[in-house]
Amino acid sequence: MNPDTTAPPMAAPAPAAHDQPAPAVRRARRRLTPARIGLYVFLLGAALFFLLPLYVMVVTSLKTMDEIRQGGIFALPHAATLEPWRLAWSGVCTGAACEGVRTGFWNSVAITVPATILPILLGAVNGYALSFWRPRGANVLFGILMAGAFVPVQVMIYPLVRVLALAGIFGSLPAIVLVHLVFGMPVMTLLFRNYYCGVPHELFHAARIDGGGFWRIFLQVMLPMSLPVVVVAAIMQVTGVWNDYILGLVFAGRDHMPMMVQLNNVINTTTGTRQYNVNMAATILTGLVPLALYFVSGRWFVRGIAAGAVKG
Amino acid sequence: MARRSLSRATPYAALLPMAVVAALGYLGAGLWTFYISLTGSRTFPSGHFIGFAQYHRLFDNERWMLSLHNLAAYGVLFVLASLVIGFLLAVFIDQNVKGEGVFRTIFLYPYAMSFVATGLVWQWLLTPGDGVDGALRALGFTHVRFDWIVSQDHAIYTVVAATVWQASGLVMALMLAGLRGIDPEIWKAARLDGIPAWRVYAQIVLPMLWPTIATVLLLLATAVAKLYDAVVAMTQGGPGIASEVPAKFIMDHLFLRSNVGLASAGAIVLLVPVLALLAPYAYARSRKEAA
Amino acid sequence: MYGTRRWLLCASLCVSAASAAYAGPTAEVIHWWTSGGESAAVKQVAQAYRDAGGTWVDTAIAGGDQSRAVTINRIIGGNPPAAAQFNTSKQFLDIIEEDMLGTVDDVARRDHWDQVLPAPIVDVIKVRGHWYAVPMNLHMLTWIWYSKAAFAKAGIAREPASMDELFADLDKLKAAGLIPLAHGGQAWQENLLFSMVLANFGGRDLYLKVVRDRDQAAIRSDAFRKVLVAFKRLQGYVDPASPGRNWNDATALVIAGKAGMQIMGDWAKGEFIAAGQAPGRQFGCLPGLSADTPYLIQGDVFVFPKTDDAGTLRAQKLLVDVVDKPAVQRAFNKLKGSIPVRLDADDSGFDACARQGMAILRDPRRPVGVPEIYLSPDQNGALQDVLTAFWNTDMPVERAQNSIASALRY
Repeated sequence: MNPDTTAPPMAAPAPAAHDQPAPAVRRARRRLTPARIGLYVFLLGAALFFLLPLYVMVVTSLKTMDEIRQGGIFALPHAATLEPWRLAWSGVCTGAACEGVRTGFWNSVAITVPATILPILLGAVNGYALSFWRPRGANVLFGILMAGAFVPVQVMIYPLVRVLALAGIFGSLPAIVLVHLVFGMPVMTLLFRNYYCGVPHELFHAARIDGGGFWRIFLQVMLPMSLPVVVVAAIMQVTGVWNDYILGLVFAGRDHMPMMVQLNNVINTTTGTRQYNVNMAATILTGLVPLALYFVSGRWFVRGIAAGAVKG
Repeated sequence: MARRSLSRATPYAALLPMAVVAALGYLGAGLWTFYISLTGSRTFPSGHFIGFAQYHRLFDNERWMLSLHNLAAYGVLFVLASLVIGFLLAVFIDQNVKGEGVFRTIFLYPYAMSFVATGLVWQWLLTPGDGVDGALRALGFTHVRFDWIVSQDHAIYTVVAATVWQASGLVMALMLAGLRGIDPEIWKAARLDGIPAWRVYAQIVLPMLWPTIATVLLLLATAVAKLYDAVVAMTQGGPGIASEVPAKFIMDHLFLRSNVGLASAGAIVLLVPVLALLAPYAYARSRKEAA
Repeated sequence: MYGTRRWLLCASLCVSAASAAYAGPTAEVIHWWTSGGESAAVKQVAQAYRDAGGTWVDTAIAGGDQSRAVTINRIIGGNPPAAAQFNTSKQFLDIIEEDMLGTVDDVARRDHWDQVLPAPIVDVIKVRGHWYAVPMNLHMLTWIWYSKAAFAKAGIAREPASMDELFADLDKLKAAGLIPLAHGGQAWQENLLFSMVLANFGGRDLYLKVVRDRDQAAIRSDAFRKVLVAFKRLQGYVDPASPGRNWNDATALVIAGKAGMQIMGDWAKGEFIAAGQAPGRQFGCLPGLSADTPYLIQGDVFVFPKTDDAGTLRAQKLLVDVVDKPAVQRAFNKLKGSIPVRLDADDSGFDACARQGMAILRDPRRPVGVPEIYLSPDQNGALQDVLTAFWNTDMPVERAQNSIASALRY
């Protein structure tokens, strides 16, 4: 369908043939049929629907509070100002400290990096073992993980608090990374398991005949060709961890409060005044990291799933 | 001999973290939650056993019953809409359009934004008098009223709109990748046979995409069960209690109302349909794998 | 050589002891004062604590329930803060029962809290003869804020002095094309409106019988039924876009003169002042419709989780001392928009509305607690569920009455 296919040769069926007709097909497609026009109309319409909230957010973040109080969320600002953005980054009060949301930035990074790497590694090992080696009882455990993915995280907070307190690490960086590991394991395992199920098992059998053991096959054969699904998993996990609020709030300890807690402090006051322009600016600032990640790895994201990550 | 048994043990050893997390983490927490649901725990878990009284109180509670009803209505609509929209977006983007990267980013960015603020924006967009309703009014459609968000019966559907906005980009990306894994020979053969495009999609592509769809369904279903942020940010469960959902009911009673016993009962009840659906699915899959 | 080693050891010990003494007792405080005005207020307390020689570690978490959830989880996890904010309510009763809070009896006795604090507050923070919390401030829940411009436009000459006059004024505002009652349709705001009607229309005795004593007969009485009817009648005066609206957006309507009145706590004053308006000039404040309307008070307190750590104990003691000083109370309350807790506080420097409140506080008949002072969080929540459903749907009055009766029975 798409001449520049992005699937690696391993998993995509019959990859090679479509390279030749590409130029001819492309040139022929340039004709503007009613179908093409309809296609662009649909895509542009959908894009407008998706962009509408972003437009409101940006426009609100450039207005003064007086203008916002007067209403009219679609109206362009009369006197656009970048002051809310400056405040959001470094001036807004999040408690006795008035230093904006930037204070949480490095904490979020310190939490997100290990809380992405570890679940991905473990998910890869789990998926690999589940799809190739299939030890007895492993599917039962996988089923428990899948059921656990449906439980709202708040329900598990109390047992986790007690266990971590017993281990003496409650309220520290290892605690929050461990918690993210626990909650990330179901989806990570699912992704990798399905990916490896799409990989031809002849490869695995050949490697075993060559004398490879569990770890050798994993490290030398499977992991190197998992790059696409690793990128997929990284995107999903980074988004989940970076945007997490409740787990960071309870488990990270006061020295490691992530950016989301700062954002929440800015937005959600109970009886204080609300500065909507600063709130919007702060939200966009906080969302820039996952957004940058999508932008950079957008192509890989699509490519990764193509290689079978979502095959059931 | 020893070496063989060692290598036999390796997969089990490698799965040890997963076993610990599944058994101690999820299974252990689940059993503990069930135990607490049989007690009269308030702010702190206590051992004061009261049998199934919390469950009685739960099913007597109008707010809880409404939340279950809302979840069912929401769940069906959300999953269907996200699937359909995500699939359509993927299909159309896959048609070799100009600016595919731009479109993809536009559809994916909602996934990156925290719902704490985007939920408020959606509330503004859907508030009667301003937002969409105000814009329609300004354009001259004075007899059209768009006030679902303040309506008892329709508030939950506004939550559907906002969450579909956030999720369909991810569905699109997953579907797009699935589409790109399909053999291009199929398209050529179909064109040679003169089959119209929509039939190719309906009768050939969709069945081939079934594994992708199955995984997307699973991910969407977990999102439905855990729906909380969007409701809190958009309607706070209102107007009144009209858009209440189980996860919010549980969360409110865990901390705000200091009633851990009732919240645990709610969590167990929420888990029951999940188990009821997963168990036959798992059974069917294990039979398929054995075959 | 031996001598040098001893000298070094002594020197290092002396230095570390000196630096420890210099650092002062460190108090980590969890609270939810995160907005601009609240932040400025808590900074005053932090500064006073530092001036007294302590080190203030600030852990702010927006949202009362989030903040309290973190406090409770930290206590369970064995890593409690030195002090934590709670509302003056039964929220921390369970923690007291689990024997996880320290007492502040010596400061309470020294400063005669029994005599200088309003009775409803004493009932909450003194449990079985011991004092468990330091009150920071008092908010009054049900002020009536009105826009002078809107009143002028509707032809209302004077403030309403009874429920009937209130409804008449609302009618006049409606006739003038304004929104009579600015309201944010969130469950706690509906609860607030109901408290106002119960206090103003039902009177002190009925209020206490229903909310404090949970007297089933009083709840099923005809007088209470009339209160519910009046409450529902108010719903006819709010605009259709009210559901889900934040309270400060409703205040914005009054500030702009688009709406006539809002019934809200005294924190609304901050919005008026931020918009450049002054009490008595552009807006007015009514604490109640008549001179003996119950004055519904709530507030914030600091509690002190139990600890064995000597350093934290010292920090807690120092914090109680600092927070209880009248000067610190004044500085905090002026910036927060609330009023000091002590009945003997000096009211100079506070605005007209606050001074009115402080005067009312001294009349022992008028201060009465808000529902959450008397009800457990669960009961208060169940009551709120019934009220918000009653407000938003066509529920018949009798059903609401029965639901409230069963909600308050447990």
